[in-house]
Amino acid sequence: MATVDLATIGVTEANELLRRYGVEGEDVEVVNPDARHHIGVGLTAPIALRVRGSAGYFCAGLTDGPRVEVDGNVGWGLADNMLNGSVVVRGNAGAIAGVAIRGADVVVHGNLGSRAGQVMKAGTLCCGGSASFMAGYMMYGGRLVICGDSGEQVGQDMTGGTIYVGGKVVSLGTDAALAELEPGEEDDVLAFLGRYGVPFRGQLKKITNAGRNLRYSRTEPRVRAIPFHAAADRTDYWNAKVQEDIHVKAQIGRYRIRGYGATRPLPHLNDLAFRRDLGSVEPDPDVVSKVELATSLGGRFGATPIELSMPVMIAPMSYGALSKSTKIALAKASTLSDICDNSGEGGLIPEVREAARRVVVQCLGGRLGWSVNAMRQADGVEIYISQGAKPGLGGQLMAAKVTEEIARLRGIPAGIDLRSPSRHPDVLGADDLVIKVEEFREATGWQKPVSVKLGAGRVRDDIKIAYKDGFDYVCLDGLQGSTGAAGNEVLEYVGIPTLAGIMEGLDALEEIGATGMPVVLMGGIKDGIDTAKAIALGAHGVAVGTSAIIAGGCIACLQCAVGQCVVGIATQDPRFEGRYDVDAEAWHIHHYLEALRWQLASVVHAHGYRSVYELSRGDLVALTPEAAEITRLPYEPDHAERALAGAAGLAGVGAGHGLPRGEVTG
Amino acid sequence: MCGIAGILYKQDEDAPLGDALVAMLDGCQHRGPDSTGFALYHERNGDELRLRFFVGEGEEAGETVARIERKLADFEAGIVERERIGTTQRFTVRYTGDLQELSYALEHAAKLISIGHSLDIVKDVGGAHDVDRAYHVGAFHGTHGIGHVRLATESDVTPDRSHPFWATGFADVAIVHNGQITNYWKMRRRLEKRGFEFHTDNDSELIAVYLADKLAQGVPLADALRDSIDDLDGTFSFLVSTQEEIGYAKDRLAAKPMVMYEDDDLVAIASEEVSLNRLFPGRSLTTVEPPPGTYRTWRRST
Repeated sequence: MATVDLATIGVTEANELLRRYGVEGEDVEVVNPDARHHIGVGLTAPIALRVRGSAGYFCAGLTDGPRVEVDGNVGWGLADNMLNGSVVVRGNAGAIAGVAIRGADVVVHGNLGSRAGQVMKAGTLCCGGSASFMAGYMMYGGRLVICGDSGEQVGQDMTGGTIYVGGKVVSLGTDAALAELEPGEEDDVLAFLGRYGVPFRGQLKKITNAGRNLRYSRTEPRVRAIPFHAAADRTDYWNAKVQEDIHVKAQIGRYRIRGYGATRPLPHLNDLAFRRDLGSVEPDPDVVSKVELATSLGGRFGATPIELSMPVMIAPMSYGALSKSTKIALAKASTLSDICDNSGEGGLIPEVREAARRVVVQCLGGRLGWSVNAMRQADGVEIYISQGAKPGLGGQLMAAKVTEEIARLRGIPAGIDLRSPSRHPDVLGADDLVIKVEEFREATGWQKPVSVKLGAGRVRDDIKIAYKDGFDYVCLDGLQGSTGAAGNEVLEYVGIPTLAGIMEGLDALEEIGATGMPVVLMGGIKDGIDTAKAIALGAHGVAVGTSAIIAGGCIACLQCAVGQCVVGIATQDPRFEGRYDVDAEAWHIHHYLEALRWQLASVVHAHGYRSVYELSRGDLVALTPEAAEITRLPYEPDHAERALAGAAGLAGVGAGHGLPRGEVTG
Repeated sequence: MCGIAGILYKQDEDAPLGDALVAMLDGCQHRGPDSTGFALYHERNGDELRLRFFVGEGEEAGETVARIERKLADFEAGIVERERIGTTQRFTVRYTGDLQELSYALEHAAKLISIGHSLDIVKDVGGAHDVDRAYHVGAFHGTHGIGHVRLATESDVTPDRSHPFWATGFADVAIVHNGQITNYWKMRRRLEKRGFEFHTDNDSELIAVYLADKLAQGVPLADALRDSIDDLDGTFSFLVSTQEEIGYAKDRLAAKPMVMYEDDDLVAIASEEVSLNRLFPGRSLTTVEPPPGTYRTWRRST
């Protein structure tokens, strides 16, 4: 057995050693741990690890296979997202022990802190003592065994799984209910306790989900689709969309769910123009070869950066909201255009990993489909805090789209209306987030960029936190961003516009003298002109979601949530998905991205610049008083006509110019 | 957005308080790299009051000090000792008049950090070791104290926005807080109507004044903490210290961490166990995480 002494080396170095011992199959003892965080994080070998003392946050977090024993106590987030293996703690555990575990045995001989087993999916979390407030909060599966008393609101918002309590049940959470034990069930639990030497004598009570809240009580009636262009009417009262909304509410008695983002007119990049007259610029088919668009993201702390052939990424969209075919087409297009894809919520599926040259994997509050293995496979790791379409709220995936396969990937019961948690179990403030970022760094050996996705809400504070908490880059998403499903009111009225978001974000970074943390802007970016304007304002790049989907056949009918997408994009029904031609749409998306590249290059070239990053605020004017107020750019409405002519000129040539057509091999 | 720590030595009047708090705060500095602060208590010396002010640097500092001295003279507070250190000026004075009146008057003359018969607050931008180097916190011996590391979000990174917060107008009450009080303005207006003054927009100052007001009315600290859990909305884990006691209160949602260790000699409380372990390197401690919605106080056993 090898020994690692934390009195002489730091945790990062120790974890590197642990991984090496893991490869060699040698068991390890950690001495002088002194409650330090991240001990054993990212260990994916079936070795035994003995911690001779207390461990801090995320002990044995993001692991697959080790057998860990801790002689003392542990801090928050014990065995975070552990897939296989076991952890035994002799003392007490802090809050959210066993958070998001997906199959391990996690045994705490003492007491459990608050919210034990939050969003756990499978495996067993057990304590010999008592559990505090909200044990089993939002659990999706597995079993939680509490030999002592359970605190208030046990099983709050649980969806699946079973909780056993040996002592007193202080109070039950919403939609949790006491149930009869099946024959043999008690023996199973007792055998588990016997196996780990947890003494217990008494009668087990069983708590399961009461099933009252797994689906919306009334489904929305099918209505005639009102497409985006009709929804975005000039009046924002009593138009077709408002009337439809009222009709539906009259039927179901609650807010309604739809896809896409805000449809009302908002100040946007259209309201800016280039000072220079781009209308007189001669189109140049070879312009792309004459400017520098390539960039990279993520090297702020020594990770391997993500290389991009142009400052554009595919925005995060989940397999779930989108069909697998659509995810594969996006991945292929990202490879053809040599940029970077993103998994969105729900995990990185093998087909996407295979098709995308580069892909970022997202971690959301529900930890659906999230694992250390996905982190290792990805080229970057991203913490989703919120998104522009619905800042502060979690995703919704209606039962029609929660298939057996998607449920299995996400570790949830099939056929529920999945309402993802709106916050992370282990991030209740900037102080927790900094430790979470460290955990990700430890799990990936500081090799993968770690980014954060922020919906534009309280941008000024949030982006400062992102800088201080040590992210590599920020994806900032404005109100014009879309989503697969959210309440209509939220989509229209919650959040702030993309233009206001980027200004607030850049101002805030300047306020604290923050440099070197790039901002990727998203939310209504539709072409190379928008991209050029965003970069001129100070963004490092953009991400495109909706426009890529439209390039791949979306008709913007706003019915994404229903699950019967007629073009096979926002559906999991094989009848509809069968209509989607993956290779053809991959090429369409690729062509769109190349048109974007050509436009962007043309704008850069027309200014006489060599690099896209020579664009600056000085090149821009505002066409409306609102946009001038938001951006502090000079208000010059006379530029409007020229700007239109310029956009027309740049759009006329280049799209599809000389593009090869052929097999997509990824 | 921060980390907190506190320690009370049950018998020792001359314990290595400064060293202990520097180590504990260094242990959780990752929770707040922007600024660090200490509220340190020593045995009371008769009517002697310790006052500490932010005075800045250079010429401006000279003018501020002169202004403070005039104000002290107005109140017939005799200066016993003075020391300029870092960006602060400390006075020890003899004063027996109305304390709230004096402190409000001084507040209007300069940025007052703390007043106390036992209390001294040291806080500045930077880490625990930075502040220790500038103010020699480690050399401070005493009875009990609390400390704080801050990650600034809403308000700027300046020394006066750092913790701990002194309960403006009340001697010897200090607080460190991790979390966010969401009914801040409502509570503040209520206290302002009763004549209390606030000198920052930081929600932690509110907790300090709220508790000090109760203490001044003769409410025991434990009862004041119990009431605070009902009266304050939001997320909080906070530590409060007075001349004789320290205590904690924790919100009902258990959103902010806190862990404590107690033996015959001392009680130590911190956001994370890693801070407690700094006091006892190499030892596995028996610690307790206070349940949500709880409070407790400890008094020196003299």
